[in-house]
Amino acid sequence: MLEIKNLHARLKDGREILKGIDLTVNAGEVHAIMGPNGSGKSTLAGVLAGRDGYEITEGSVTYQGKDLLDLSADERAREGVFLAFQYPVEIPGVNNMYFLRAALNAVRRQRGEPELDAGQFLKAVRAKLKLLDIGEDLLQRAVNVGFSGGEKKRNEIFQMAMLEPKLAILDETDSGLDIDALRVVAHGVNNMRSPERAAVMITHYQRLLDYVEPDVVHVLSHGRIVRSGDKSLAAELECKGYAFLDDVA
Amino acid sequence: MVTTKPFLETFDTVHAGEPDWLLQRRRSALARFGELGLPTRRQENWRFTNLRPLEKQEFAPGDSVSVAATAIAPYLVEGAGHRIVLVNGRFDSGLSKLDGLPAGVLLASVKAIVSNDVPGFFLLGPQIFGEGTEEAKQPFLALNTGAALDGFALGIPAGTKIERPIEIVHIADAASPLSVNSRSAILAGEDTKASIIETFIGTGEYWQNAVLRVQVAARAELHHVTIQDHGSEAIHTGSTTIHLAEKSRYNSFNLTVGGRLARQDVYLAMSGADATCAVDGAYLLRGSQEATMATLIDHQAPGCKTREVFKGVVEEQAHGVFQGKIQVRQAAQKTDAHQLNKNLLLGERAIVDTKPELEIFADDVKCSHGATVGDLDEAAMFYLRARGIPEKQARNMLVEAFAADAIDLVEDLRLQQHLRRHLDRWLAGRPS
Amino acid sequence: MTTDTLDVRSLANQAYKYGFVTDIEADEAPPGLDESTVAFISAKKGEPEWLLEWRLKAFRAWLKMTPPDWAKLKIAPIDYQASTYYSAPKKKDGPKSLDEVDPELLATYEKLGIPLGERARLAGIAVDAVFDSVSVATTFRAQLAELGIIFCSFGEAVREHPDLVRQYLGSVVPQGDNFFAALNSAVFSDGSFAYIPPGVHCPMELSTYFRINAANSGQFERTLLIADKGARVSYLEGCTAPQRDENQLHAAVVELVALEDANIKYSTVQNWYPGDAEGRGGIYNFVTKRGACRGANSKISWTQVETGSAITWKYPSCILEGDNSIGEFYSVAITNNLQQADTGTKMIHLGRNTSSTIISKGISAGRGQNTYRGLVKIMPKAQGARNYTQCDSLLIGDKCGAHTVPYIEVRNPSARVEHEATTSKISEDQMFYCLQRGLTSEDALSLIVNGFCKEVLKELPMEFAVEAQKLLAVSLEGSVG
Repeated sequence: MLEIKNLHARLKDGREILKGIDLTVNAGEVHAIMGPNGSGKSTLAGVLAGRDGYEITEGSVTYQGKDLLDLSADERAREGVFLAFQYPVEIPGVNNMYFLRAALNAVRRQRGEPELDAGQFLKAVRAKLKLLDIGEDLLQRAVNVGFSGGEKKRNEIFQMAMLEPKLAILDETDSGLDIDALRVVAHGVNNMRSPERAAVMITHYQRLLDYVEPDVVHVLSHGRIVRSGDKSLAAELECKGYAFLDDVA
Repeated sequence: MVTTKPFLETFDTVHAGEPDWLLQRRRSALARFGELGLPTRRQENWRFTNLRPLEKQEFAPGDSVSVAATAIAPYLVEGAGHRIVLVNGRFDSGLSKLDGLPAGVLLASVKAIVSNDVPGFFLLGPQIFGEGTEEAKQPFLALNTGAALDGFALGIPAGTKIERPIEIVHIADAASPLSVNSRSAILAGEDTKASIIETFIGTGEYWQNAVLRVQVAARAELHHVTIQDHGSEAIHTGSTTIHLAEKSRYNSFNLTVGGRLARQDVYLAMSGADATCAVDGAYLLRGSQEATMATLIDHQAPGCKTREVFKGVVEEQAHGVFQGKIQVRQAAQKTDAHQLNKNLLLGERAIVDTKPELEIFADDVKCSHGATVGDLDEAAMFYLRARGIPEKQARNMLVEAFAADAIDLVEDLRLQQHLRRHLDRWLAGRPS
Repeated sequence: MTTDTLDVRSLANQAYKYGFVTDIEADEAPPGLDESTVAFISAKKGEPEWLLEWRLKAFRAWLKMTPPDWAKLKIAPIDYQASTYYSAPKKKDGPKSLDEVDPELLATYEKLGIPLGERARLAGIAVDAVFDSVSVATTFRAQLAELGIIFCSFGEAVREHPDLVRQYLGSVVPQGDNFFAALNSAVFSDGSFAYIPPGVHCPMELSTYFRINAANSGQFERTLLIADKGARVSYLEGCTAPQRDENQLHAAVVELVALEDANIKYSTVQNWYPGDAEGRGGIYNFVTKRGACRGANSKISWTQVETGSAITWKYPSCILEGDNSIGEFYSVAITNNLQQADTGTKMIHLGRNTSSTIISKGISAGRGQNTYRGLVKIMPKAQGARNYTQCDSLLIGDKCGAHTVPYIEVRNPSARVEHEATTSKISEDQMFYCLQRGLTSEDALSLIVNGFCKEVLKELPMEFAVEAQKLLAVSLEGSVG
């Protein structure tokens, strides 16, 4: 589904952050990417989703046979790439419900499905809200404005559930969550697992992996994947800390 | 070039039958305008306003014409109860609707009042055309005093509440360049409540110079929306003066979308203690439109509250200007006044000038202002696009949210809805 | 050559001849101002022809100008013909020792913690009687010279480094820039000059020298400071101690030039005599300060603490020409009694990705009037320009005024400009809290005001910051009952 080859990316100021990433994610798989602060995790997420401010200097990213880097951010989203933001953006004045319907209909058009009218949309929304323990009042507010940290993260997963992406990239979705919220979020992610879908979870800590079991764990350090393994690697990291990476790197 | 010549030439005909005091006022005001001439950009208050279109063209006083009801139909407010229509600045009784008002409420043409055709209200004339000290300095006000043929007058007797909005439609229809001077007044008595919406529309090349005086008596509540949606060749200069008595409330919203050159001046005096005002608005400009919103809120009495929010969306090579001054005199202790001017600058050649100003002579006050100029928020744009929303739609959503944020401040929901429709219409015309 | 220039030249020559032969030994120019006064000053200082021409051009421009009237200031008319535009320093006029100095002044020094060695100089006692400034200055200058740094009086720079002076003088503030700058350009007495060569980081605050040596450099002071490519310098002027000066009008000009990657930090503490409680006397401080960020990635940062003068009119500005260049303005202005201040900055964004920050804190007490006036202008080519402005005003007492007049002019859609301003009285809750904990009302006020100004004070070089804090307290004395 996703094939990243020798990906190099730098910031506008010239600092190179990704220094040759190789990663293959197949349909049905859940990958975890772990690494210390500054290792390039969020940059990788941003590059995959098409955020401005990065320059790709080398390498390629193929998604479902297409050159992902050739697509704009919204085209990627409509092709089924979903980024759950580490810091979901507040958009004053744009109603959450209105926003979500615009997004869902954009994605549905792309998939050749009919747009939902207000009634059908509401029905779909209510089903998913329950799943994520989100109150309906949240939908009447402006996008993420005045949401608590936990609410913002749950709103991300709720959007994911609504948009049903093929490839979900979860950027530090577990950070700042208490244990109950973490469970709810994990439940939402697990619900999405299917043979046609894949997910990349970017995280600093192992604790999300206790709830969402990854098929493969990668360790990112200084812009490269330095180790890959099964979920036992996460446990190893948890007990040794990231310091040991310096030995392997 | 704007001179007094065409106004003097037609003076005896158009003002025939007016009382002597008014003819005298008009003659001295025209003389004053002749002395003052047009403001120049060297004057601090006019430094951002380019009046060249007025210098290049002569605008003659127009003859009376009539327009079809269909011309105003798209601009009418749903549920409005009472209406005055002024065509080229003259009262049109056929299109107006003056019945059904509560007892004692005056809604009439100014010309009728000064000609003493409305029994019992002849004393209002001198108030409407009253001596104003500002006139000595403001050429457009002086010209208006000299030349205004008509306008609307609304008088609400103490204790009366008018349920349905009153709408005023100023429509111009210019076959050749003409000037439209309107002179109006609103007098809201003690403990009254009313909503009024004024709409400016028209076709052809014309210059509307509108003067409105508003007095809000103690404990009265007045909602006032102004929509300036003139034709693309129009020039608009407007001067609104408002006096608020104690514990009164005045909520206003000014939407500027029309005209090629527009300048609206608002002077609001909080002359009574514990009055509250909201002076809000939005200017949505594209093409080579130029618009200036200039406000002065003068806090004279203690305990008053002011909120001022103006939002600007300026596209293509348009030029938007906001000059807002909040003044707090020494007697106006416990003033709570906040002003905000936010601008989206969306065209490579678009220009925004903003000068928010605080002048404060009392110490026990809470005052603030803020101003921003910038493009759409990049993070919000990315967030929308990352959810699959195409760029143009995402931009439209954010522009709409930005402008609607101001419109949502309008308390009268009927007027708010009406403004939203104007916004939608404007958004539909956004360039791709 | 036009007849105009010929006229000037023949006039100048006359004056020169006249001045040189008969009056060169005089200590003072006769009162009044005409082209011969300008020529007299130039001759007195032994200036080259080009500089005389430069001054005369300024003078002629000045004649056609009128004093600015747009500031929110009440200024009694100034008779420019009644002043004397040149007088040699009078070293023997001052008191002979600290015993002769006004005890009130000494008490203020005590409060400010001014070092004993400096008190004498500040009080106007002839410096060289108590302190060998020349040798100290020489020591510093030798150290700086090793690095190629030039730091000297303006007059000396004209003699020793004429090419540099000629290249940069008036390149940031042209002679005809404004009424006071034109006047200064015509009659400037002396001032400072500094040049930091490429890549050199000046190892000391240039104040050290200044505070010892450059007092009383006159009412028409001129400063020119150039940081060449990659150079860094921090410059301090003024002094926290109240400076008594008989000249009522001060019209200084400061020009800064930062080339590629250069960094200039310019800090001012201005505490000229503000006049008495009834508003009698006091300095008119009409200053033009401007810096040009000529090169890419250059930075100019202005910090000012303005507590003195009867009237302050100054707008230290940055012209951000180089791409990625940065301008900063940090200001505290206090007006007490009948003082008036109209101060702020201009940030002119010309280059790409230029950014500017403005933090202004105005404090009004007594019957003081305090105005922030600022311009942020984003020109069409300033792609990606950024500005953030914050202006806060504090009112102490109900007879003072605080005003904020920002101008924001944006001509590039990729720019982002943000302005915020607040005005409020000093918090009663904060005051009460402090009093309840046992502070006197003056201490409490000083504490709160210092907190209010913290964002600016932290920009001052360390040794200045401590003095500045005390200065705020002293400036507000008597403003709470």
